[in-house]
Amino acid sequence: MKKLATLAAGLSLATALIGVSCSVHANTTAAVGQPAPAFSARDTAGRTVSLADFKGKTVVLEWVNPGCPYVQKHYRSANMQGTQREATGQGVVWLAVNSTAVDHGDYLAPGALADWMKAQRAAASATLMDPDGKVGRAYGARTTPHMYVIDAKGTLVYAGAIDSKPTASVSDIAGATNHVKAALAETLAGKPVTVPLTRAYGCSVKYPSGA
Amino acid sequence: MSCSLLLPAARRRLAFAATWAPALAACALALAAPAGAAGAGAVVTTPQVRAELVAHAPEGVVPGKPLQLGLLIEHQPHWHTYWKNPGDSGLPTTLAFTLPAGFSTGEIRWPTPARLPIGPLMNFGYEGRLLLPVAVQVPASFSGESLEVKLRADWLVCKDVCIPEGGDFSLQLPARAATAGHAEAFAAAEAAAPRPAAGAKAQAEIKEGALQVRISGLPAAWQGRDLQLFPETAGVLNNAAPVQGRWESGQWSAAIPIDAQRSAGPETMPVVLTAAGQPSGLEVTVQVTAPWPPLAQAPQAATGTAGSAALAGPAGTAAPAPAEPIGLALALVAALAGGLLLNLMPCVFPVLSLKIIGFTRHAEDRRSLLAGGLAYTAGVVVSFVALAGLLLALRAGGEQIGWGFQLQSPAVVAALAVLFTLIGLNLAGVFEFGSVLPSRIAAAQARHPLVDSALTGVLAVAVASPCTAPFMAASLGVAMMLPTHEALAIFAALGLGMALPYLAASAWPRLARMLPRPGPWMANFKALMAFPMFATVVWLTWVLGQQTSIDGAAALLGLLVAVAFGAWALGSPTLGRGARRGFSAAALALLAAALVWAVPSWRQDAVAAMPGTSGAVAGQEADRWQPWSAERVAQLTAEGRPVFVDFTAAWCVTCQFNKRTTLNQPEVVAAFERKRVVLLRADWTRRDAAIAAELARMQRSGVPVYALYSPGAAGPRLLSEILSVGEVTAALAELPD
Repeated sequence: MKKLATLAAGLSLATALIGVSCSVHANTTAAVGQPAPAFSARDTAGRTVSLADFKGKTVVLEWVNPGCPYVQKHYRSANMQGTQREATGQGVVWLAVNSTAVDHGDYLAPGALADWMKAQRAAASATLMDPDGKVGRAYGARTTPHMYVIDAKGTLVYAGAIDSKPTASVSDIAGATNHVKAALAETLAGKPVTVPLTRAYGCSVKYPSGA
Repeated sequence: MSCSLLLPAARRRLAFAATWAPALAACALALAAPAGAAGAGAVVTTPQVRAELVAHAPEGVVPGKPLQLGLLIEHQPHWHTYWKNPGDSGLPTTLAFTLPAGFSTGEIRWPTPARLPIGPLMNFGYEGRLLLPVAVQVPASFSGESLEVKLRADWLVCKDVCIPEGGDFSLQLPARAATAGHAEAFAAAEAAAPRPAAGAKAQAEIKEGALQVRISGLPAAWQGRDLQLFPETAGVLNNAAPVQGRWESGQWSAAIPIDAQRSAGPETMPVVLTAAGQPSGLEVTVQVTAPWPPLAQAPQAATGTAGSAALAGPAGTAAPAPAEPIGLALALVAALAGGLLLNLMPCVFPVLSLKIIGFTRHAEDRRSLLAGGLAYTAGVVVSFVALAGLLLALRAGGEQIGWGFQLQSPAVVAALAVLFTLIGLNLAGVFEFGSVLPSRIAAAQARHPLVDSALTGVLAVAVASPCTAPFMAASLGVAMMLPTHEALAIFAALGLGMALPYLAASAWPRLARMLPRPGPWMANFKALMAFPMFATVVWLTWVLGQQTSIDGAAALLGLLVAVAFGAWALGSPTLGRGARRGFSAAALALLAAALVWAVPSWRQDAVAAMPGTSGAVAGQEADRWQPWSAERVAQLTAEGRPVFVDFTAAWCVTCQFNKRTTLNQPEVVAAFERKRVVLLRADWTRRDAAIAAELARMQRSGVPVYALYSPGAAGPRLLSEILSVGEVTAALAELPD
């Protein structure tokens, strides 16, 4: 009996560990009007930050990549920093997320990314590292920048672009509508967001390839 | 870097032209690639592209005669620019011509694009040589000697990084001489442009989160081919999802998934169709017949449900609401309790009886009993942790799987069926293990009873994995979200809980002594235990049949016969040497033949079933339950219908139990009908990334999960894993009428 158990156990562990093929397709699970997907990631200081930490607060997620000209457009013009400052000044939690794969040329180590954010005088509450793209995929983040607003009850109320003019020129910022500011104003006043979805523009998020 | 200002002369804009910044901003971007001389020539060269303003005026610039202008872009290898709908990211090239008064330009005649996948995203664009032609109307009043054309073009060129570039071009065209230096490029661009499909009728309706497109009247050469569809409207469809089209009596139909974050709801959608072997595409305008659902369900106040129901387990504590992960300590305690309950689950019980046989042999020797118990515990805990580690590693690798993933692969199910057949045959006395292995190894095993105990623990874990006891679900869901070491601690607690009864009995032999003494009854008991083994094989064969087809299940049975024959030939104690040799050879040949027959019928791509519709339910059930999709749930709740989703799998015993008992009770069926609840079934028998992602969102990693969505609530209410009629009817009673 014991000998059979040995063989059985060995076989069963072997069979239980048979590998599965990698499925490539990314699935968007976040949808506006639905609860925002939970996530947990390390920030540039090494602390673990979870969405659940901010229960009861409005949260903004900003997908960032310093190497992307569209992110640079909003940072060099101080548009993004201004939006961040206005938001955090009203008690909103602003999380910048970087989902660039480690082997991509745009990848910045946590320290370097933190330095860049500091040099830009960013007012984000935390900058999260998402090198395996888990958080990005859960939210369907496609571009940098890609913006999401989550209300205090945990529902995703806005997903899309930072503003209404999809170009790389700083001069277009002044004439464009800042969708994040508008969504935050309505959410903090308890009103439904009138423009809940727009098409995000920018460079593609540099997810790890083959995964 | 071009630092020129846009000229103030009268300009004609094209429909998608966006004004690019004046020089200051462009300079400040400080990127590589000077965008060319300030309005000096017809060519702008950057490290990524060579762009040239070209013209085609075979009869000169004369009113009424054709004139075409265009931007000829030659991309460096692997660099690309974008189509009018760039896809998930990127921006289309824009052309802003400056021409004398009276001239009018048409839209860019975009050549048929190519799909440019980048990781999990999809873009549409061009590589290599590209000409973007624009038709120009020469006014009757034109009478100059030459025409001066100025162009401001901007494009986004990307490889793995993106560089917005642009340039100012100018060109002089002689009015009375032909300009046809690029005739070949213009002809190629004309050939590459999608042709309008005359006589084609295209309609679409929105169903189950996909755009169900039907196109008829396509040219004969296109019939029966694999088509690809490029939407000209951005922000509507899921660009990366593969599209499976079907041809039926001249009509092509496909269900194209809609973008979960759709930002537009157009009534007509022009699309470009391409087919392998056809030189260019067809342009078809799709009429969307049904109105689009609202873009976003307006967030409403939560209806104050706790989001959970009391569980049927002995402790009776409530499971956590989906949005509140339980603390680590509570999770560990819950995991321990869950492991204990695992011993009672239907798929563990046969192995439990194996353990009992082991006890009765060692009841006298207290120390070895305890040592065996500890070894078993170690085996169980280590294998739980190892499986969890593998799960987390695979999950980190981007795999969409959850607990129970082993049984989603036909090969694994088949291997387990072979294993249980062998165990059953040995228990029934068909062969003796001692004569299968060489005597040296058989003796070595006897010398290490501790190793045997440990490996018995491993066997128990392999068998238990698909069954999730009530407490396990929440713990597993939490564990997936936590850092690795905390997740592994939870799995270790699960293992400890599962091994506790065995360990307790081995530590206090009084418990073991309560078991009957060894005697002739043991041979009968051993043979009796063969039958639960065979029953498990029946269940595994059914699971394999659900995953593949009846042919796959029959192939497995054939393989089992071959294996049984082999085991008898090699291990029967009563065969003579010559007979053994002869039968063994025959058995080997039979086994090889069975494998050759069986393996192809289990392969993933041999299965025609679509995810979410495999595991078909027989009879009237099929009419009541519809396939699940996240978009369908959103659509139904937006319409005000309550939705009940049954996340199930063929290999999940608890799921099948609930399906056949509680969910089939007439009172439950009546309650569903009274409240007009739509019943959706998410079948996870085979790997399905959408279902796995949805489970992760609800902080579960295994099935069953029963989710009740009431219109107006923020999230689903999750019911307990062992459903009772009372629980379901009580939850339904709370729904608005």
